[in-house]
Amino acid sequence: MRAATDILQWLFLAYFIGVNLVYVALNLLAVPTLRRYLAIRPVADLPPVYSGFEPPVSVLVPAYNEEATIVTSVRSLLQLDYPEFEIVVVNDGSRDATLARLREAFGLKPFPEAYWERIPGKPFRAVYTSRLHPGLRVVDKENGGKADALNVGINVSRFPLFCAIDADSILQRDSLRRVVQPFLDDPRTVATGGTVRIANGCTVSAGQLEKVDLPRNPLALLQIVEYLRAFLFGRLGWATLDAVLIISGAFGVFRKDAVVAAGGYRTDTMGEDMELIVRLHRVFRLRGEPYAVHFVPDPICWTEAPETFAVLKSQRIRRQRGLAESLALNGALMGSRHGGAPGHLAYPFFLVFECWGPVIEVAGYAFMAALAATGGISGAAFLAFLALAFSMGFLLSVSALLLEEVSFHLYPRLSHVARLVLAAAAENLGYRQLVTLWRLVGLVRWLRGAKAQWGTMTRRGSWQSG
Amino acid sequence: MVAAAVAAAAFASSVILLVALVVLRVARDMRDRRLAARVARWRSALHAAMESPTGSTPPVPAPRDLPVFLRLSNHLQETIRGEASENLSAAMRAMGILPAIHAIVARRGLHDRLVAITALGHLRDATAWGLLAALSRDADAVLSFASARALLRIDAPRALEFLAEAVRREDWSLARLGTALQEAGPDVVTPPMERLLADPAPEGLERLLKLARFAHRERVAKVVRGWLGSSRRPLVILAALNFVEDAADLASVRGAARHADWRVRMAAARALGRIGTQRELALLLGLLDDASWWVRYHAAQSIGALPGVSPRELEAFRARAPSALAAGMLEQVMAERARA
Repeated sequence: MRAATDILQWLFLAYFIGVNLVYVALNLLAVPTLRRYLAIRPVADLPPVYSGFEPPVSVLVPAYNEEATIVTSVRSLLQLDYPEFEIVVVNDGSRDATLARLREAFGLKPFPEAYWERIPGKPFRAVYTSRLHPGLRVVDKENGGKADALNVGINVSRFPLFCAIDADSILQRDSLRRVVQPFLDDPRTVATGGTVRIANGCTVSAGQLEKVDLPRNPLALLQIVEYLRAFLFGRLGWATLDAVLIISGAFGVFRKDAVVAAGGYRTDTMGEDMELIVRLHRVFRLRGEPYAVHFVPDPICWTEAPETFAVLKSQRIRRQRGLAESLALNGALMGSRHGGAPGHLAYPFFLVFECWGPVIEVAGYAFMAALAATGGISGAAFLAFLALAFSMGFLLSVSALLLEEVSFHLYPRLSHVARLVLAAAAENLGYRQLVTLWRLVGLVRWLRGAKAQWGTMTRRGSWQSG
Repeated sequence: MVAAAVAAAAFASSVILLVALVVLRVARDMRDRRLAARVARWRSALHAAMESPTGSTPPVPAPRDLPVFLRLSNHLQETIRGEASENLSAAMRAMGILPAIHAIVARRGLHDRLVAITALGHLRDATAWGLLAALSRDADAVLSFASARALLRIDAPRALEFLAEAVRREDWSLARLGTALQEAGPDVVTPPMERLLADPAPEGLERLLKLARFAHRERVAKVVRGWLGSSRRPLVILAALNFVEDAADLASVRGAARHADWRVRMAAARALGRIGTQRELALLLGLLDDASWWVRYHAAQSIGALPGVSPRELEAFRARAPSALAAGMLEQVMAERARA
């Protein structure tokens, strides 16, 4: 018995140290990529001159019950600085006045679209064009979920690239230009995404980000540190290895023919954005065709983070389910000898640490607490274990803050840095453990199976001033 | 013990990173404060120099501040043309900073080298030719292209003697090359383009044909259209079809409309809309049933563009269309034409 508990103790300890060492390694991998990216900014940041080779882009905006924000969002998108793009809003059977708001604001009128159903989707009721903006079309369709709305948007879209964004995403005028750049530089590119930042606390006017600030809401503040970790060294580290498995659903650009050939978005998962990327890796790897998924480190998309425990819990449960589904549906990527870095490094990492990690972590905390309560280990040993969890988490968060400081430096005041450091410490004292517990719930729900549906995100929009 | 040791190490590392974070932030704030007044002065002086050829030269920055100054001037140069650009370049040359810029190109890190290389291009510094020519052959795509672009700005005809090499460098994107050729202008681009296109088997033909749009169209069109009949490569035929402008090529275009690659059929349908007469109607109406949406779309557009085809006739074609696909596409195109 004693030997078994000793082995378990060592296993949990090894897991905690192992997972954090992998994160440290990702951090180190991100550094040269970020350094190079920053070094070429004198060229990349010069005022753009277009050559006519920039591929036109269809911006797809799936919308479900977005009456409060949809008009502002579309107006913001119309201001994008890019030579040729169209906006396709897909009203996914909203039960509120989303369509009416759009008709009123943009002078919509029905259009006899010769619909090309490349990807099966729910029937659409009508396509509208705008009298005011020739590049804007609105598709009104039966409710089928976000993935279905995106598939219908792909069917209606005209251009070789499409950009999938959330209706509430806040983009900068140059966001599209920056995220399309990898398609120009590398003809193998099939998908790109950029860094998503949290807009809570910032000043947003008419859909444009005007001033960066930190939120007063502590939950949103903790998520800022979390996002910095996830994007600055999480995705950037994997990008160095050509193994990006996630492009945020909030803002990503895709080569349409590649996505259509892969079957479009799956409508039976909660993580349709991640699933698509993992599937693209699987399909191209197994066919042996050249391809690339790129990540742009620039903060080019801002989104609202949940400010209540209930909404955050729902979001994290959905994300975990989406992760598990994405991996389960594309297991062949890991099994194939052609899997490369995505299949042999990123996939196992996500499977062990991100997908099943919550089971091990929750079991580890429970086991160590039980041992401490029953005298199986000393109080000092238990404290050492907690100190390990805290200090490793703190180290990773501080690393992300440091990367942010040397790169994009978006939070201008010293007081911002102080608050972020405090948040980096505080998130290890309960928040991360709570999120781990929610992720475990998500995993259990995935194992039990439940129907996918649109996420319910309560938009506060307190940062919107117009 | 192990847990405590690792925790202590991680915590100590965190503290070190925290100190680095604070030091970097304080250093950055101090630097920004120090530079703020100077940047304002430089900006004002650069604007003054731009407006007057006899204006005073901007104050010479300290060596460590030179990249910041050059980045500022590069931004300005990218937004101006003609006399203003000449005035600014002359004023900056008069500052005597060229040797310092050369030194940056030769020694400093990638960031500063890119700033300095771009500046040398704007300053049209012919003495930097050898340095930049060597760098334009570097394996680093960003560094080499920045150098090539600077060479183009210094002496475009001389730089374009190496157009074939530029076309072969596939790590230089068409968009970047296109921007550079667009800036050089068709007068300069056309002679080397004509020479390369006249080669019976030029390397990188597909890229070359795409770049041909930056030459005088009428001078390269004839040789480009020659590839229409002589090449079997879909992308070559596709590029050549975009240059078709008269009925002399009708036979080739008709053939292309039956090509196996939908992109070629689409380009042929578009070309028929430009050069065709009502004699092409049967062919275009047939393309309305093509498997590709884009071929059907451009066939419908071209039918509407044929001389003598009125909206009423379009409606009649729609009513008699042999399939729902063809009718639907004609209806969409009619709506688009009515809206335009």
